[in-house]
Order: sequence, then structure tokens, then C-alpha cells
Amino acid sequence: MPKLSRRQVMASSAAFSFLSTLPHIALAGGHGDTLRVAIAGETGDLDLLQNVSTLSSYTVVFDGLIHYGPGGVLEPGLATAWTIAEDGKSIAFDLREGVTFSDGAPFDAETAKWNLERWMGVGDFSWIGIADAYESIETSGPNQITVRLSRPVPAALLELTIVRPVRFLSPNAVDADGKQASPVGTGPWIVESYSSSETVLTRNDNYWGERPSFSRIELKVVPDELARANALRAGELDVIGGDWVAPLSPRRAKALEGEGMTIVAEPGTATTILGYSPKSPMMQNRGVREAVFLGIDRAAIAQVLFEGFADPSVDIFPTTVPTAGVRHAVPARDVAAAQAALSAAGWSGGGSGWTKGGDALEIDFLVSEESFPGSRRIAEMIQAMLTEVGFKVDISSVDNATMHERRPNFEYDLTFFATYGAPYDPHGSLGASFVSTVDTGPDGKIYISDELDPVVLAALEASGDAQEAAMQGVYDWLYDAVAACPLLVTQRIWAVHPRVQGFSLPATDYDIPYKGLTLG
Amino acid sequence: MRRMFLRRAGLALLLMLAATALTFALVTAAPGNVAALIAERAAGPGADGEMIARIADELGLNDPLPVRYVRWLGDTFTGDFGVSLRTGKPISEEFAERIPVTATLLAGGGMLALFYSLGLGLWGATSNGRFADRILHGIALIGASTPNFFVAALLVIVFAVGLGWIPSFGLYGWTSWILPCVTIALFPGSVLARVVRVNLQEAMARPFATTGFAKGMNRGEVLVREALPNIAIPYITTFGAQFTLMIIGAIVVERLFGLNGIGAFFIEAIRFRDFVGMQAVLTLFVVFFVSVNLFVDLVAMLVDPRLRRARRA
Repeated sequence: MPKLSRRQVMASSAAFSFLSTLPHIALAGGHGDTLRVAIAGETGDLDLLQNVSTLSSYTVVFDGLIHYGPGGVLEPGLATAWTIAEDGKSIAFDLREGVTFSDGAPFDAETAKWNLERWMGVGDFSWIGIADAYESIETSGPNQITVRLSRPVPAALLELTIVRPVRFLSPNAVDADGKQASPVGTGPWIVESYSSSETVLTRNDNYWGERPSFSRIELKVVPDELARANALRAGELDVIGGDWVAPLSPRRAKALEGEGMTIVAEPGTATTILGYSPKSPMMQNRGVREAVFLGIDRAAIAQVLFEGFADPSVDIFPTTVPTAGVRHAVPARDVAAAQAALSAAGWSGGGSGWTKGGDALEIDFLVSEESFPGSRRIAEMIQAMLTEVGFKVDISSVDNATMHERRPNFEYDLTFFATYGAPYDPHGSLGASFVSTVDTGPDGKIYISDELDPVVLAALEASGDAQEAAMQGVYDWLYDAVAACPLLVTQRIWAVHPRVQGFSLPATDYDIPYKGLTLG
Repeated sequence: MRRMFLRRAGLALLLMLAATALTFALVTAAPGNVAALIAERAAGPGADGEMIARIADELGLNDPLPVRYVRWLGDTFTGDFGVSLRTGKPISEEFAERIPVTATLLAGGGMLALFYSLGLGLWGATSNGRFADRILHGIALIGASTPNFFVAALLVIVFAVGLGWIPSFGLYGWTSWILPCVTIALFPGSVLARVVRVNLQEAMARPFATTGFAKGMNRGEVLVREALPNIAIPYITTFGAQFTLMIIGAIVVERLFGLNGIGAFFIEAIRFRDFVGMQAVLTLFVVFFVSVNLFVDLVAMLVDPRLRRARRA
């Protein structure tokens, strides 16, 4: 029998004692009543007028007049009812009574007016139609306001559901210069603290709506996707996912599903679109656009690169967005039809590739993995498909900044775009990406032309029953002209730890899910 | 000695100036438009060409590069690193929050690398050429060839996901430092272990080692008392080089373990084209590199009188 020295016995005891404390240390600080959600970046100070803080955290702290419900249904928020005047130039809101901000300040017509005047009529927010057309606000009693506009804004109600700056801040939460000093809203959660590592929210027990079943949310900053997945596996996080919260790749979701985590995936609200440069001589040729449109196997991309967590589409908006229009059938990939389109456009194939008037069928495909994660692999798959058709596809892989310089200058033949998604669409993407006269800075345009401008502007200005037909007019115009090449709608993917029950996705990707959840 | 220190410090200062000028030029030449980013932050989708041009003018972005560098240098000397384009917070506040995290990681990693390398190197030298020596050689080789992101994933899967002993991310007590420090220490520790092992082998063939054996010392005693002090200079200089390189490892390790240090801030600054943040962190890196090397030079001179005499000559 081996002999142990006194020193060895002491060392072994010390090591055993140390190791036995580790599990308790790791799991210290119990989490029974706390939902732990991963966020990819710190929330910031949630200033409603600055474009800095993470979009996903506003909606749990601040309320708007109107909430964006599933499928784009407008639900009462701090306004219980609203009436648009017949001429469309004023909107009257009945405000919810008895609501207080989490610091105790009452929410009434005066505070609502003060809040709206912080951004309506202010130049920095002229991209919001209702802010641009703003004339005045009148209060009628403690719980009614009327917003008067210089012209009708058909998307006004939808605009009041966006993340910022439309939500309401306590008038006590600003400094002497009127700048937001702390994030105090009327929402279901109160910001207890925030740092670069985490933001802690506590339940607002005076919330006017349904009270959450647990009292605390910890938003943990975990920038790395693998680290988030491992933390979920280890039980250190309860929920990960959401494009604007903490993105989860399809491949990782599949892996987590096989390890006992619940994967919740629902159709997304944003479409991935291949844009043809309207300034490219090559892409001005309709036959070339058709050949690209028909030469891509959308179903294969959805299945292979997205593990089935994407839905092929040839429409600009998915049905999860209001007035998305009539669906068009997604064509099966047809190389012969694509080549026929090229032939009809005067291109001829040969041993050294397709040519027309001495020009080779060669396109520049601008890709930025940084600005659109996963795009490089999609581009390579499309490159292979189009090569079979007869194209020579050169992929220009650039960083985000170069993408933001080249895209607005149309320095490409093909590149990726994505629509904004709910609650910004359809008006947001149509106005920004398809109208030539709107300056959208680095985002660029999916497609613009002098013929398209009046069609889109008419749709953006249409209201009531005319709106749906006008929107359909835009979709039909784009489809008939093969002006853009929609590819697919990626699904919204979340992974949930088994201790969380009743998980369902909120209406938009900008919301953190907490409603209806119970914690085990 | 004092004159030598002052001369070395002066050279270090010149080196810092040259390095910051170079990084300033490189960051400025990188694609992207600072004014566009600031405009986008202020007005979101409302940022237009006119607003971008106004901001560029206000910030003096149209001035010649040397003018901008001198202005930036003046601000930096007064502790004003500017405001982060990504977070909207002053960089000095970001540094105050994040430097302690990175400093703790580097200190922990440095200590581990020190003990690991000396332990492994000495053990290898005491079991010279035997099976244990070969195994330790293999361990050091694997440690020096395994990328830290792989090591991090492996450690997390075993100790956080599998055993549940240690948190996989963030800072929740001292146990949170174990995996990041081990990850960041493995590569430099393994390189240093080889330095110790190889230099000890050479030292053991020198006459003073033979004299030690002649005096009746055993192999262990000769290693520790005679050979080890003689490898101090190569060890200290290599340790200094490896320690400065650990800051590169910190960039990856902090992100993988959700630690909000300087490395994580730097990665996000690059991703979001936060030029102000990038330049501030690069300046910090320059100061760190130059200071550590200066410190190592001074320690080496203090330890070895021959170096002092050589410098004087």
C-alpha cells in the first residue's frame, strides 16, 4: 500500500476543499425569479433622442401611444383610442388614464405634449413623416391631445410604433438643458442599473398593463455567439437569439435543439434582396436581370445555408408585414430559361463564355460579411449557380465602411440589401430604398428610376382603402420590371433554456421577449 | 544608471510619438467617414449629405493630416481622448471602467505563465531526456501551437458546461478569472517553458554547473542554485516580449469570455468604425508595449551588471 506523507495529505485535503467549493461559487447568486437574457452589445443609456443605444431595450422600459401587435395590428398603448380627421391633417388621441411614470410622475396630456414636442418638427427627425409634417399639438383636458399636421401622413400611426424617438419619458428625467438624464418610462420594467457588462431591470409594479410573473431581468452582454450558446447550455442564460438582441445562427440553433434547448423559430419580417445597380450598364439589360432572377435556387440556399430557418421569396415584403401585397410563386431554378432570357436580350454563348457586342457577361458582386453576416457564403453559392448559367461572377468582399461608401454610389452590379422589417415596413423600406429623391446616406438604394418614383410616392401618400391597391402597384411594377431580386426571408430564431416556460416571440425583432413567461 | 534611465525614457517617448503618428495616419486612411458616423448617431436615417459636411467642417476633418495629428496629440496629453462614436461616452470613462478588467486579466495570465513556465521547464530539466521530459516537451509544444479561441472553447465546454464548476462568461467572483487567465497564459507559458528548458540544458553544460556537482550538490540543487540565476536575462527578456503580446490575446479572450475590457472595446470599435475609440486604444497599446519593454530593459540591467557596463562603454 503506497504511503502518503503528511505534506501530501495536507495538499490533497486543500485541493479537495477547493474543488468542492467551485460548484457553489459558480452557481452563487440564485436566479429563481430572474430572467437572464443575452444581448450582443451593451444597452447604453437609452436616450430616446440619440441613435446610440441598443434598439432592443427601449420597448421594455418606454411605452408609445400605440403598440405594434402581431401582423402589424395597431394596439392601444398609452393612447386608448385615436381618430384621424377626414382631411388626414389631424389625429386626436385619448390618453390612458391613471398611468404614472416609474418615478411617480403622472402621464397626462401636458407630459404627452412635452414629449412629442421634443422630436416633432425637429430637423433631425424629419425622416419620420409625422415629425416632418408637424404643425402643432393641442391639449383638450387632461387626457386628450390632437396633433395637427401640414399634410396627411398615411403612415403616421405606424410611425408612432417605432422604437425611438416616439416613446414617452418622465419630464423629471431630463437635465437643465433638456437632455435625457435617466431612462424613466411608463413601461413594465424599470432600469435599476446599466454598465458595459449588464443591464438590470426590475418589474414596474405600477405598470398599467399585464404584470410579468417574475420580478427581474438581467440583460447580460455576451458579444460572442458561441459563448452565448455555451452559457445557455451551462444554465447561465435563459434566452438567446433575435437579430437585434443577440443573433443566433441557424447552425448553432440546430446544435442547441439536439441538446435539449427549446428552439422557437417564426417567419421573419425582413426580406434579403439582391439589388441590381440601376447605374450599371450590364444590369440595365432586362435579360441579364431575368437570368440572375431565374438562375438562383432560393430553396437550396434556404435549406443548405440556413438549415431550413429561412423561407424562399420573390416578394419585397413577407406577409408578416402589413399590406405586403399578393404573393408571387417562387420559381424553381431554371438554367435553360435563364439562358433563353440572355439569348433574347442579344447575348450569345460560346466556348469562351457569353458575350454581346464584344462585352463579356461578367458581373461585380459586392459583399460585406461585416455588414451582413453570412453574406459571403450566400454570395459564393450564388456565384456557383450563376456560373452554370454562363456568368462570370467576381465577388468583391469588402469591410462595412467600404460597403457604405460603394453602395450609395452604385459601385457594383449586384449586392445584398435587407428590408427594415416590422414595425418600419412597408413605408420605411419603400421610402428609403426605392425613391431617388430621398437622401438615405450610406444605406444606398435597392432600385431607383424616374418611372418608379411616382409609383412609390403615390403608394406612400395613399391612405384608407386606396393604400392597399397603391402598394400593390409598387410591388407589381418592381416584379414586372425584374427591378430587384428578392431571395428569402430569414426566420427569427431564439433558443430557450428548459427552465423557461411559455415562451412566445414578440411582434418585432426589436422587442425583448418576456410576456407570458414563467420561470422554473 | 540615472542618466541611462533618462536616455532610455527619452527614446521611449520618441518611439511613442512615432508610433502614435503612424497609427493616426493608418486609422485616418482606413475606409469610412467619421462625420457620416456621427451624423448617423445623431439623426439616424435622417443623416443627409449636408449634415455630414457640416459635422466634418466643425470637427476639422478637412484640415491637413499633420494639423489634425498635432491637435489630437494636444488633447491626448490633457487626458481628452474624445468621445466614443459607438457608445457616446467619453473614452476616458470607458478606459476607467475597462482598464482594471484587462489589467487583472494580464496580471493573472502573467503570473500563471510565470509559474507554469518555470515549473514545466525545471521539471523537464530535472528529468533530463527521460520519459517525463519528453511528455513535458509535448505539452509545451501543444500549448504553444493551440490557438486561444480553441483553448477557450475547450475549457468552457469541460469546466462550465460539463462540470458546471466555473462561470462561462462575465465576472461573478474570482472563479470567473480562472478560465480566461489559463487561456491567455497557455501560449506564452508554453513558449517560456521551452526557453527555460533549453537555457537550463545549456547552463548545465557550463563549468559552474560542473563545479556545483564537484561540491557535492545533486542535480536539482545545481539547477536551482547555479543554472537558474544564469538564465534570468534570456527569461526576463522573453517574458517581457510574451507579456506584451498577451494584450493581443486579450482582444480575443475578453470577447470569448464576455469580459468588458480594453480588448473587447477595441473589437467593437473596429466593427463599428469608431475611429476615436480605435485611435485611443492603439495609443494605449503603444504606451503599454513601450513601457513594458523599457521596464524589462531596466530590470535586466539591474539584474546583470555586465549589461550596465556594456551600455556605459
